[in-house]
Amino acid sequence: MTMFRRSIGIRHLVCGSCNGCEHEMNALNNAFYDITQNGWDLVASPRHADVVTVTGPMTEAMRTAARATLEAVPRPKVVVAIGDCATGDGPWTGAPAGAGAGVELAADVMVRGCPPTPDDIRAGLARAAELLDS
Amino acid sequence: MISVGTTAADVRTFHEDVIAECENGIPAGAYADADFAHYLFLSAGGASTLSRALHGERRLHAVSGLVPLFSWDEREMAQEWGVRFDALPDDRPFYAHDGAMSAARIVHGEGIMQFVVGPVHAGIIESGRFTFSSGGETIVHLDAQLGYAHRGIERALQGALPSQAAAKVARICGGCSASRSYAFALAIEALADVEPEPEIELVRLIVAELERVYNHLADLAASASGAGYAVGFARGMALKERAMRLCHAACGHRLLFDAIAPGGLGRPVLEDRVPFGAELAELERDVHLYLTALFGTASMMSRWERAGIVPYETAKAFGAVGPAYRASGGSTDIRTFIPYGAYRWLPPSVACGASADARARCEVKRDETVESFALIRRALHELSDASLPPQRPVEPRPGRALGVVEGPRGTELVAVHVDERGRIERIHVISASYRNWPIVARAMENNIVPDFPLVNKSFNLCYACADR
Ligand code: SF4
Repeated sequence: MTMFRRSIGIRHLVCGSCNGCEHEMNALNNAFYDITQNGWDLVASPRHADVVTVTGPMTEAMRTAARATLEAVPRPKVVVAIGDCATGDGPWTGAPAGAGAGVELAADVMVRGCPPTPDDIRAGLARAAELLDS
Repeated sequence: MISVGTTAADVRTFHEDVIAECENGIPAGAYADADFAHYLFLSAGGASTLSRALHGERRLHAVSGLVPLFSWDEREMAQEWGVRFDALPDDRPFYAHDGAMSAARIVHGEGIMQFVVGPVHAGIIESGRFTFSSGGETIVHLDAQLGYAHRGIERALQGALPSQAAAKVARICGGCSASRSYAFALAIEALADVEPEPEIELVRLIVAELERVYNHLADLAASASGAGYAVGFARGMALKERAMRLCHAACGHRLLFDAIAPGGLGRPVLEDRVPFGAELAELERDVHLYLTALFGTASMMSRWERAGIVPYETAKAFGAVGPAYRASGGSTDIRTFIPYGAYRWLPPSVACGASADARARCEVKRDETVESFALIRRALHELSDASLPPQRPVEPRPGRALGVVEGPRGTELVAVHVDERGRIERIHVISASYRNWPIVARAMENNIVPDFPLVNKSFNLCYACADR
């Protein structure tokens, strides 16, 4: 039961994703994956979050907003990079796009995949919950 | 298929040509390259291009003052390709400049206030900034500023071999990946004189319709959510999940990435058709039950009705495409307007609405979902147990070609220029979302703020393919 010990609030941050990763993030809320069973919630404000999930290679236009969002999250916080773009392994990594939102924002957990499956994302979030606990 | 007219005529003649093309067909967008500005038009006969030489000065008289749908295209040409427009009605940079978005357009006046949503949204939604000017609850003006997902994709693809570019083209936008791959494949195949076998075209049709099904289900669920109907949302998203699993059963990818590629298919598709057919039938039955229940919910329908009306004239002037256009009285569907692939012998019946509101857009998507299942069944039947030929090698000759398909949100267009080495010299993507975003802003005028979610979701446009 350790993986369910900590209830986490998750704030999602899109930094130039293709929206494929968002389709899978959204799946976490459907009746098949329903992460509320784990005590996890996708929250509307960074102020309510413990975990920030980030997608995309990072774009020039998002850099400021991304940092501001991250700063608005109270400590302790864990950043999870979702998908190859965010981990720095995506199709658009490098100029003119960024090095990966997860790389630029020093993510604690990297979830590979293009996009990762909802199960992969769930495993990454479980790791984030563990990190918050430790 | 493509006629390229390079005219050095003066502004007046060029504008007359543009007007004539708009009367013959549908203006589709414009883009620039090193030497020319290209204005694209679609008609039942195919696509045509009016190209204007830019010369050293790169100076042009803007067309968007005359035909407003070119506004975003011309702003993009100005910022990204150094075209110096005279009389550009909106001359703000299109994308962020030095890390900052340009100021939003707001309306001033007594009792009018402004508020901003984004770029980071409350839900799991792509980034974009919406600046509302409202008088009390009534929205007077909405400025939708995108560009936050601008990854510089078109430049990044320059110099790539089409075969290498295919996987990247599939990842410009997740929600319309298959449609974009299809448009790209059509353009490259036109330059390579390759015509895929009928079996391949049937499979591509199935892939394209699966994309429509999962998108429309998500859109309808989101529109229900926007109207505050939680059951409609939850059931719709569960069905969308099943549709994504069906996509996975079809090609090993839940979002159909790489299923369609130049020369055929980019991954094994529909190898095991019996379980696919069985799951398809079950999903189709449950989707019918869902749609009947959803559209039979009077309280929700009353929220959709008269919300976000887009009169036909507005839809046409601003270049609406897809369900957004057909809900406002338009009838263009690329699958029947400029038929391609298996649609040439399996044409869909085109869904149209008349009330031009959120309800009409949802009804068009409902009818299209039903029709997509029918098309998939017909294609599957025709395909039977035929084995699929391998992907054909494609070696495009130098030149320019357009690929145009009907994606879930409407006309998906990819223009490709191939150089002497067979590499991409210039690629330009005009997505249905790019065309439709300005319509969302028009749709919100005179609507109340709380209706924004449901009006917005009745379009449910992507950002990634608009920003590129
Ligand atoms: S990792 Fe793949 S699915 Fe996710 S944003 Fe990047 S390209 Fe899209």
